[in-house]
Amino acid sequence: MKRKLLSVLLAGAMVASLSACGGAATATAPAADAGSEAEATTDEEAPAEEADSAAPAASGEGVRLLNGKPEIDQQLQDLAKLYNEETGNTLIVETIGGDTNASDELKKMYQADNMPDIFVIEANQADTWDGMLADLAGEEWTDKTGFELVNASMGTIGFPYTVEATALGYNADVLKAAGVDPASLTSPAAYADAFKTLDEKKDELGITAVLGWCAEPANLGWSSGTHVFGQYLDAGLKADDTTYIDLLNDGGKVDEKRMKAFAEFVGMMNQYSDPDLLVDGTYDEQVAGFKDGKYAFITQGNWCVTSPDDVSFECGFAPYAFEDGIDTIIAGPPSYWVAYSEGDVDGAKEFFNWCAGDSAQNILVNDAGLVSPFDDCKYEAVNPFYKSMKSYIDAGKYSGWHTMLKKDGLQNVTCQVFADYAQGKLDADGFASTMAQVIQSYYNN
Amino acid sequence: MKTREKTSAVAVKMVIAIIIALYVLFPFFLVVINSCKPTDMITANPIGLEGVSLPQLYQNLKDVINNTHFLFWSAFEYSVVITLLSLILLALFGAMAAWVICRNKTRWSTFIYFTFIASMIIPFQVVMLPLISTFRDVGKFVGIPMLQSVPGIIFAYLGFGGAMTVFILNGFIKGIPITLEEAASIDGCSPEQTFFLIIFPLLKPVITTVTILNGMWIWNDYLLPSMMLGQNGKVKTLPVAVQAFVGSYVKQWNLILAAALLAIIPIVILFLFAQKQIMEGMIEGAVKG
Amino acid sequence: MGEFSVGRKAASFGCMIVGLVLMIWGLAMAIAKTGNTLRGGALVVGAVAFFVGFYLFPTLKHHRTIVNIIFLFPLLFAFAVTVIIPLVLGIGYSFTDWNGIRTKGFVGLDNYMRMFRQPGFLWSILITFLFVVFNIILVNLTAFLLALLCTSKLKGLGFFRAAYFLPNLIGGIVLGYIWQFIFSNVITKFTTALFDSRYSMLSETKTAFIGIVIVYIWQYAGYIMLIYITGLNTIPGDVLEASSIDGANATQTLFEIKIPMIAPTITICTFLTLTSAFKQFDVNLALTNGTGSVANFMGNYLTNGTEMLALNIYSTAVINNEYAFGEAKAVLFFIILAVVSIVQVRISNKKEVEL
Repeated sequence: MKRKLLSVLLAGAMVASLSACGGAATATAPAADAGSEAEATTDEEAPAEEADSAAPAASGEGVRLLNGKPEIDQQLQDLAKLYNEETGNTLIVETIGGDTNASDELKKMYQADNMPDIFVIEANQADTWDGMLADLAGEEWTDKTGFELVNASMGTIGFPYTVEATALGYNADVLKAAGVDPASLTSPAAYADAFKTLDEKKDELGITAVLGWCAEPANLGWSSGTHVFGQYLDAGLKADDTTYIDLLNDGGKVDEKRMKAFAEFVGMMNQYSDPDLLVDGTYDEQVAGFKDGKYAFITQGNWCVTSPDDVSFECGFAPYAFEDGIDTIIAGPPSYWVAYSEGDVDGAKEFFNWCAGDSAQNILVNDAGLVSPFDDCKYEAVNPFYKSMKSYIDAGKYSGWHTMLKKDGLQNVTCQVFADYAQGKLDADGFASTMAQVIQSYYNN
Repeated sequence: MKTREKTSAVAVKMVIAIIIALYVLFPFFLVVINSCKPTDMITANPIGLEGVSLPQLYQNLKDVINNTHFLFWSAFEYSVVITLLSLILLALFGAMAAWVICRNKTRWSTFIYFTFIASMIIPFQVVMLPLISTFRDVGKFVGIPMLQSVPGIIFAYLGFGGAMTVFILNGFIKGIPITLEEAASIDGCSPEQTFFLIIFPLLKPVITTVTILNGMWIWNDYLLPSMMLGQNGKVKTLPVAVQAFVGSYVKQWNLILAAALLAIIPIVILFLFAQKQIMEGMIEGAVKG
Repeated sequence: MGEFSVGRKAASFGCMIVGLVLMIWGLAMAIAKTGNTLRGGALVVGAVAFFVGFYLFPTLKHHRTIVNIIFLFPLLFAFAVTVIIPLVLGIGYSFTDWNGIRTKGFVGLDNYMRMFRQPGFLWSILITFLFVVFNIILVNLTAFLLALLCTSKLKGLGFFRAAYFLPNLIGGIVLGYIWQFIFSNVITKFTTALFDSRYSMLSETKTAFIGIVIVYIWQYAGYIMLIYITGLNTIPGDVLEASSIDGANATQTLFEIKIPMIAPTITICTFLTLTSAFKQFDVNLALTNGTGSVANFMGNYLTNGTEMLALNIYSTAVINNEYAFGEAKAVLFFIILAVVSIVQVRISNKKEVEL
């Protein structure tokens, strides 16, 4: 009798342990429930019973959106709430942090068969997802904007959720006090004068340094390696001019003369930047410094100051005039939302149409501080840089974000060259030649 | 004369020991004081005590705990659940397997034993990529999610921790006299009864050792969970959550250090209570491994 | 035959049959791709039922064998699925153009040839070896000195041991960020004051490398120290007494008695530091993420100055999305590690015999 009892007990133990390790995903789900503090993650185990796993995405769990902009995470959560209130549909927003690159994370998610229905891509990443993105042509919203992403093989794939601009952001009040006219900044010589004047009047103006420019590679590589580098590719060009990006993508070729001029300009930036920030600063320090009025210029874009409450001065953009006559800023959607073709495409399309509409734009423009890419949007962006940005766009003086078309990951090597230059390990010639060499080997390795 | 020399030597040693201890503990001290400051105070003076206040610590901890990238409680719970279940299963199955391997000297058991030992030098990087695809494909095939799931990762720890567990347990079981089992068998015990009633209780000390070794590894492991669970998955362990949090835009040191503090505290508390066992377990593991 | 009740037999065969049926049904569902979500449960329950039936199988003669199989199965199964199958697959994949999802074709040794043409990878191998050598020497030396300190007659020894060991409890990721803070915010305060160099150690390849070594010693020396303490404590007291009666001074005792007598401990510690330094990943990732420039390495400008092997493999596969290439590097890593371990064990064994 005792023996039998033991047998049964043992068998029970085996069952319990086997099922614990072998599967029965729901068995350990309580931890998941207790832990889901984020409002978005609910009902995670619901579809396990009834849903057809051939189309797991369409299981009524809602449309999942992977956002790559942590600074607007909260606003997107609000957007999801509003979407649910207005349409009854569910949108789940998941956010990936800035330098934890969304694209790297997406590759992991793909490997893990955990793709969201909507996710963020930069234009050059379309190839990574070749054949896997839904064609959105003919959707209602496409009539209202010229900024959608069109791909040769997949059609209209990208929904522009924002328009961003990058150039040298400036503090207009400081420039005014120093007697520098931002409109005159269209040549290296003009910049040299302006930087010199500002530098001499530093104490009088109450600024720490002329420029808040940071070339730290490990965390801010996207800023130097993608955005500032993008000025080499696009500054001064028409928005559809792809001369230098084509050259670059042709096996990593670099225009020597232009790169040299760019190098000289970056050298000047290094010289006048806050030395405490230049080599190992952080994004937060850089932006905080600009907001506090410690710098006259900042090497970021309109995303760094989103609310008029953040600054007590007027903001504007000046071009990276590393060659005479450069008078454009870079403007356009830096990234897009795309729909995963094996996900809930209909749900995604429905969301996009709603998102281009009035109530959604209200949140995106007024709360998130984004600039709307849609013609019929009636909200004037609150972004302090908006006025300056709009004046460039209206005058046709804007270039494209072609830096997003460079080979994926190139910024991880170019940012290092910026860092070495900033540390004084390279001179302007060294910067130009090293840059050429690094790019060349990145493209051909 | 001689004693005086000795006392001075001891004093010198004492001073050295204290200096080293200060050096070793200094980072912990920095974490604690800077978790109690607002960001600007940290950049201004990271080693001073100005700006340190409990309300600020509370504020920092609150910010971290509520941060959507961190989700401390969720990560903490997952870490505890994953670690505990893995440890229990590793101890149980490890002991069962080690006992069978040790007590049956056949070609098969020797082969299995040496495969286990040989596998201990396999670096995780070699298996990590195919592991993910295998788990994904198997999970899809049988309809049980193996990635982003607690059972999946426990299963993986069972596989990766098995070799060392068996190795250490095997060494111990070898030392248990076989006559014990023979006597039990004569008394009418079946083999499984012999194991669970006689052998398993004897394994307590060595199971403590493997549990400590495996526990330290699993609790702190980053690469395996980051690959299997993903940085933004619903299931996150503490190291993954810390990485996800710090990797986001927020380079605010007060929050990062508060997050580090949160990650450190549980294990330090455990260490204070089970100092002796942990240190001995680590030594035994090393000496036997 | 009469030894087993009918009930037992029925239970055994019943369970086995039900188990088999469930498993076959589950497999059939899986193969037919019906998407039936019950199939996973069916497989698991089926397997468990089968084992229960198997366990109850009415035999005395083979009962022991059955128990053996059941006892071995869970761990072996997990081990096979997580280690053996991926290892075999991985080695296979390294000869293809696998992208993590699909393989389009067999490329032979291309991946292996390619990595030796990649200066960045060769650099990673080089600094990994450097790192390992540095660590074996420095960690062991530090740990041994600490062990000597902690075996002398001091007050509060327990506290010192625990304190020195404490860093070892903290995971590499958390630890990496703590030290990133120290390097970029605390140490810079001192270097600015002393040498007027305001840059963080981590922004320069050489100093960043030193930084990683420092962090590693900080983390690991306490652990190795514990093992040396154990080794030193095994030296019989009368041997030491005898030597001091013979008039040996402290240095002589150390080199002629203590060190030779703890040779096995030294072997263990060297082996531990060797393998763990080789596999270093977490601290590397959190501290520098491999950044740092090298002006001229074999005629190339490199941008992965502090990227060690494990991290290089990770970024090749996961960040650059070249799974097969990363896998090939990983296989090489495995070979290096295996060879180094074997050589190390051989040398140590020989030395021990000689001593």
